Amino acid sequence: MDKTILKAIAILAVLGGLLAIPRFVDSPYALHMMILLFMSVMMGQSWNILGGYAGQHSVGHAAYFGVGAYTTMMLMHTKQIAPWIGVWAGIALVVVVALIIGSICFRLRGPYFVLASIAVAEILRLSAINLTTLTNGAEGILATELPPFKVGGAIITDFATKVPFYYIGLFLVVLTVGVTYLVQHSKLGYFFQAIREDQDAAHSLGISISLYKNIALVLSAVLTSLAGSFYGIYVGFVDPPTVLGLDVSVQIMLICIIGGMGTLWGPVLGSLVLVPLSEALRSNMITEALVKIGLVSPESKIGIFLKENLSHAHVLLYGILVVVVILFMPDGLMGFIKKLAKRRKQEAV
Amino acid sequence: MRKHLLALGASLALSPCLLAQKIGVINSMSGPEAPIGENITNGIKLAEEDLKKKGINLQLVWEDDTGKPQISMSAMEKLATRDNVVGVVGPYTSACSNAVAKLAEKYKVSLLIPAAAKEEITRQGLKHVFRMNAPADKYASSLIDAALSLGKPKTIAFVYENTDFGTSTSKTAKDYVATKGIQVVSDVSYPKGSADYRSTLAQIKSKNPDLVFMVSYVADAILLMRQSKEVGLQPQAFLGAGAGFTTTEFAKERAISESVISCTQWTDDVSWPGAKDFGTRYKAKFGKEPTYHAACAYASMVIMAETARNAGGDRAKTRDALKAGQWNGVMGEVKFADYEGFTNQNNHQMLVQQIISGNYETILPTKFATKKAVYPFPKWK
Amino acid sequence: MAVFMQSLISGILIGGVYALIGIGLTLIFGVMRVINFAHGDILMVGMYLTYIIFTMLGIDPFVSVLITFPLMFLFGGFLQKVFINRVLNALAQNQILLTIGLGLIMSNTVMLIFTSDYKILTTSYSSSTIQVGGGVSVSTPLLISFLITSAITAALYWFLLKTDTGQAIRATAQDRDAAQLMGINVKRMSIIAFGLGAALAGTAGALISPTYYIFPQVGGVFTLKAFVITVLGGMGSVVGATLGGILIGVTESMSAVYVSSGWKDVIVFVLFLLVLLFKPSGLMGKSRT
Repeated sequence: MDKTILKAIAILAVLGGLLAIPRFVDSPYALHMMILLFMSVMMGQSWNILGGYAGQHSVGHAAYFGVGAYTTMMLMHTKQIAPWIGVWAGIALVVVVALIIGSICFRLRGPYFVLASIAVAEILRLSAINLTTLTNGAEGILATELPPFKVGGAIITDFATKVPFYYIGLFLVVLTVGVTYLVQHSKLGYFFQAIREDQDAAHSLGISISLYKNIALVLSAVLTSLAGSFYGIYVGFVDPPTVLGLDVSVQIMLICIIGGMGTLWGPVLGSLVLVPLSEALRSNMITEALVKIGLVSPESKIGIFLKENLSHAHVLLYGILVVVVILFMPDGLMGFIKKLAKRRKQEAV
Repeated sequence: MRKHLLALGASLALSPCLLAQKIGVINSMSGPEAPIGENITNGIKLAEEDLKKKGINLQLVWEDDTGKPQISMSAMEKLATRDNVVGVVGPYTSACSNAVAKLAEKYKVSLLIPAAAKEEITRQGLKHVFRMNAPADKYASSLIDAALSLGKPKTIAFVYENTDFGTSTSKTAKDYVATKGIQVVSDVSYPKGSADYRSTLAQIKSKNPDLVFMVSYVADAILLMRQSKEVGLQPQAFLGAGAGFTTTEFAKERAISESVISCTQWTDDVSWPGAKDFGTRYKAKFGKEPTYHAACAYASMVIMAETARNAGGDRAKTRDALKAGQWNGVMGEVKFADYEGFTNQNNHQMLVQQIISGNYETILPTKFATKKAVYPFPKWK
Repeated sequence: MAVFMQSLISGILIGGVYALIGIGLTLIFGVMRVINFAHGDILMVGMYLTYIIFTMLGIDPFVSVLITFPLMFLFGGFLQKVFINRVLNALAQNQILLTIGLGLIMSNTVMLIFTSDYKILTTSYSSSTIQVGGGVSVSTPLLISFLITSAITAALYWFLLKTDTGQAIRATAQDRDAAQLMGINVKRMSIIAFGLGAALAGTAGALISPTYYIFPQVGGVFTLKAFVITVLGGMGSVVGATLGGILIGVTESMSAVYVSSGWKDVIVFVLFLLVLLFKPSGLMGKSRT
């Protein structure tokens, strides 16, 4: 059978499985982790369009994440505008913000572009702190009461459980992955990659560098802002450090780079590794598991040491993971897997 | 079959002598909030020991939220639905507490917040959310009332960190001074962790305010006071809100901290039962002075554990007992009451203290006072 | 007028320390074209080193620079040889992530050892001042650290301009390939440059210890500041970083008074963007694309 058909069947099967999960899993904790996973995929994949395909490595994506989250939350909090309407305002605003940022940052290349993207995001974060009348400043916006989602008077869902969030998250993941797929398989994707590989050569071929960079940026920013809006609605609280902080930008970039930039499944793979891993490290589940399978006794010195320190050390382990991946898998997990597969093929021959 | 197992589990849980009480802890153990989170961790560890001595065995499930609301939510989901804890003590920060409060309500798990300052948390009418400490507005009113009882200040300058705690504390303080006829001559927020405040302080000095109200949660307090001395800022009183002004490190800097008035939720010289003893044992165990966070966390855990034990590990009964109960311990009298729009909020008595001869001495309220206040602020040497 | 003079003087003095941080970063960038996101964390390591030396051996922070500088040099050389060296030809974002990862490892290791408590290093002169008249005062420790900074910067100029190694480092910074063809041991120069960069950051950490406070996550603030200073002065330009540091110090200090202290960092970042846009080579740098 044709390889692409096989692939399509596999994807549909996975998607079917994901759609069915809430029917069989009633643990809200598991659903919550899935929702965090979806957010992570969205964030990584959105960055991928600009960073992975077009080669513009922004370390300021918190700007778009934060603008999306803030706009939706502000409209819901002060004007009682439902988030599924507010999200469009967020998108409109983020397009404007992205074009302004693009007009500044795209004049620069390489490390200068990176630093400018950080500076712009920091300016937005500091503005959110200082424009207290607009954003409520450092106190943040708390809006936990979601209006029920109605279609023609009938209530579809009142957001009492995780299930509606799960499906919204899944839908947004399909959307972002779908957009990336379309980009990858269109002329747009080729232009992006031409710019990434050699900007000057692309220019001499008559590709409008600034036009395509801006298209990549706007696509990436809009999808990131959707992720931000989703975050705001789901968590019910936004404040400057949690949605506009530098570590948000780094996190977004990390998902994609660990997974593999410029590949369709890289950010998915990156999320599949990072989200469960950091949760397991954080909540001491690794120690629990070691105890359960009898490798470590909970009363032994090692058991106590792990229990006391592992959850404190999880950011340390995270840092080590980053260093190891960058040094030994510079093309991310996807690149690593491809290399292994290639080697196996060669050995087979 | 599943139902039977559940029933079996429930009946086992109902025999209090056999099983340890399973209680969750959510705290910022790593990340930028970790320096304060550590005090909470220590307070809870001491509570665990003391409870064991009283014959209450605890099975604590520790969760680090790294100071991020969404991670805090992960922790709460896990505690409520996977670990099936009776109640939860934490989280530390206001942002995390806000995110977690609605989950506590949803899963009907009692959440006892030890030290988050934001007023809104207990103003949403949530039945399962309790708070031990006094919220941010109390800092402002306690300090300004203290200054008004000592002298006749006419003007005030505000310097505060541009964080949630700093902004909300100074906001309530500004509202409060307006009702007392004190004029605000300067209103400055600063980013936490700046190295240089001299220009700002020199500017405030030129306005010559009667009171200088500072909010600092961390060691910025020492920098602010050092640099106030450098530029010769000389008000009638320095009022310090936030943990930065209530650490022993701060008191040890006698050249700059002497006579500064601050307010706190707790000190070890207050006549609340066990407060002194808690302070001594905390120092012996962890090699440093306890902060009010540690005391709040300690008291919260003790109350949660005893209530859970008496309720036989039942979530609904625990919540009702928390609501109905009354305690007297290291935090003084504790009762989770509904007042002024708050729900389940302990109307905690703030203590106003002043550094006299390098020690924190309580000066207000009078029934806890250990020394007479020094006012106005003596001339810089 | 007193307010103006006070702001100007303290801005210049604090700017001196910023300059030291910026020079370290600019050296590293100049020679290796790597943006070091762990720069603030290296500074933090220097602070803890100073703290240990002060509490265990009782050596004054300003004197302990003599110990901190060589130790941090070795630490920086180690980082370069083991980690940075492997990504010299990698994509920019991989270099960035590597240094971010290294920074996380540093700050969290320190947290495991020292806990995340704030450490205050109090010397007899921590809050002493010199009155210069007109109601303007100068912090003694800040003045001493400014003088030490100036001495170190002068020594560094001499090293870069007059010694063979210094000239080799500058040659490597100008054109790595050409330098290699000329027989310069480029790898060794990189190790020395990173070592020097780390030593300068560590020294800056030591110098602000008496007037600041120490905790594992302290680095973040300084990393961003170092970037701004470096770009302002022109990446790779030591003179530029010196001026950039002082300019940032004064800008912060002045805008805190004449604009608002909440917006002062915004002003710094806007200034940074303007320089990037209209004079991307920095105030002192030669044009380079």
